[in-house]
Amino acid sequence: MRILGVVLLFVGVSVLASAQVRTPEIDLGSAGTAIALLSGALLVTRARRKK
Amino acid sequence: MRGTEQIHGVSSLDASFSESSNTQRFPRKKLFSLGLPQRLILFVLLFAAEWSPITHSVHKGRGAGALLQIAIAFSSFLVALGYFRSKDSFQRISNQVQKAPIRWGLLAWHLVALGAFLGLSAISSGNNPLGYAIIALWYAVGIAAIALAGWAFVPPGLALEFVRSTGYAWVYALAAAVIAWRAVVFSPLWHGAVWNPAIDLSWKPATDVTFNLVKSFLHLFLSQVVADRATMTIGSPRFSVQITAWCAGFEGTALMLVFSIAWIGYFRREFRFPHALLLVPAGMLVVWLSNALRITALILIGVAGAPKVAAGGFHSQAGWIAFNCVALGFAVLTRHMPWFASRTITSKGISAGTLSSIQPEHAMPAAHNSTAAYLMPFLGILAAAMISRAASSGGFEWLYPLRFVAAAAVLWFFRSKYLELDWRFGGFSVIAGCAVFGIWLGLDLMAGTHPPSAIAAGLASLPSPARITWLVFRTVAAVITVPIAEELAFRGFLIRRLTSADFETLSSRHYTYVAVLVSSVAFGLLHGDRWLAGTLAGLIYAVAYLRRGRIGDAVVAHATTNALLAVCVLLGGKWDLW
Repeated sequence: MRILGVVLLFVGVSVLASAQVRTPEIDLGSAGTAIALLSGALLVTRARRKK
Repeated sequence: MRGTEQIHGVSSLDASFSESSNTQRFPRKKLFSLGLPQRLILFVLLFAAEWSPITHSVHKGRGAGALLQIAIAFSSFLVALGYFRSKDSFQRISNQVQKAPIRWGLLAWHLVALGAFLGLSAISSGNNPLGYAIIALWYAVGIAAIALAGWAFVPPGLALEFVRSTGYAWVYALAAAVIAWRAVVFSPLWHGAVWNPAIDLSWKPATDVTFNLVKSFLHLFLSQVVADRATMTIGSPRFSVQITAWCAGFEGTALMLVFSIAWIGYFRREFRFPHALLLVPAGMLVVWLSNALRITALILIGVAGAPKVAAGGFHSQAGWIAFNCVALGFAVLTRHMPWFASRTITSKGISAGTLSSIQPEHAMPAAHNSTAAYLMPFLGILAAAMISRAASSGGFEWLYPLRFVAAAAVLWFFRSKYLELDWRFGGFSVIAGCAVFGIWLGLDLMAGTHPPSAIAAGLASLPSPARITWLVFRTVAAVITVPIAEELAFRGFLIRRLTSADFETLSSRHYTYVAVLVSSVAFGLLHGDRWLAGTLAGLIYAVAYLRRGRIGDAVVAHATTNALLAVCVLLGGKWDLW
């Protein structure tokens, strides 16, 4: 759940950061895909270590 | 036999799950039983959410922004210092905080105080006794708003006990907060990217750094570089761009600041302190450099003869691609650096850690990683989508076949894992798919017009063989690889992962309402402005999956929907459905 926590925090802040304008550097329109990709990749890399 | 198992229906799930299962028990946490760090995060997010919409209406001249910034910075530093200074006390108090409920009534009073604060901002105050009284009241109400929110999250007695246990840490925290508030390096983050990108995002020295970096990088590739610092225009005589404050790197750096702090904080047991704190500025620096590289690549693409791609897809996608690469690299590589990590992973296994309490872990081959098997096909599609969008101009993804190829390659790689899944399906899944199709079209009609699709125009510009190839890949992807990849990720993985961390041992028919809802909403959100239809579709696919616990049912339901939509698109010319 830690990764989900990081991702939720990150999503919240990134939405806040991009809330007012659609800027080219970090395009909010692409945020869903990008954050899903990042969070999924993090879940996979963390899961590679078997406890 | 799977087919004869009693169905754990949606309505009977929770009771049957907690009472009848001998092997799977999941302790339920109270929804808001959060510890000290989590409540601080809520505190910060609350103020960020409140501050963003009202910032234009708050009287800036009286120092409202400073008041809030110092309060948040002070709280953050105090908790961080308190943790390192006295871990035992921190944990004990955090546990006590966890037992204390969030005081919603005080949060309501906080909103009242914030409203009064906003109202007093609208009243002008002159240099007279009444004006001073207004200012004093304004400050008092503002401080009260902050205090009430703090009190709502952390009882004052526990807050005082925490401050006492940290000795003079509050002095250091206050000093650090004031320094952070005044420090030039944080200024653009406070005022620009983090709090309000619409204003004050114009810290010229930082933008100059980006300009100089891009200029240096361009000299490596171009014989003639045009660089006008007065207008911040840079490129070649053939293609040039203007580097404004909007794309100077503030947003990516701010996101990296948040990501790195959150990552190090959550996984603090895996890091050595204070060494690991250096990773925060290092990560920010790398993101800043990557942004300069992004602008350099954009210019080179334009110079190479694809200005529409440079200014179109690449412009909007490259920032996230760069950020994702840096963030993922940060998460993976820092664990392999002995100086930063409390234990490191080498090719021979785990090296000796400095924390004996941590149990050794072993990296497993990727092909045996269940999480990877469920998620990677979908992640492959997402990664390919970002690349194909970055290479597009005018919104048409001519590289769409890359999505199919990526998903197919990953599915082939993990094929042995998929043989363990139940791919059978029944008639209900076809009916469910048709139902989703009807809902999708119905909501589409209710929503009215959508932005015109770029597909028709894009296809018209292609020669016939390329057009047919694109349509074949698009249709096959929609009917085969996309349903498999998305159902593996959202139904096969996410529902079970949200139900239990040990999802592999969980029956494919066990779930919680929250898991189904969250996975469906996540599925819906990935469908952009069709988020409602996507969420409902996710719920119906979840029912199809959980009814018999067969991934095949969900995949066939999804494939049915997509096939019917493809027919609408190909025969009816409704390109906006794609």
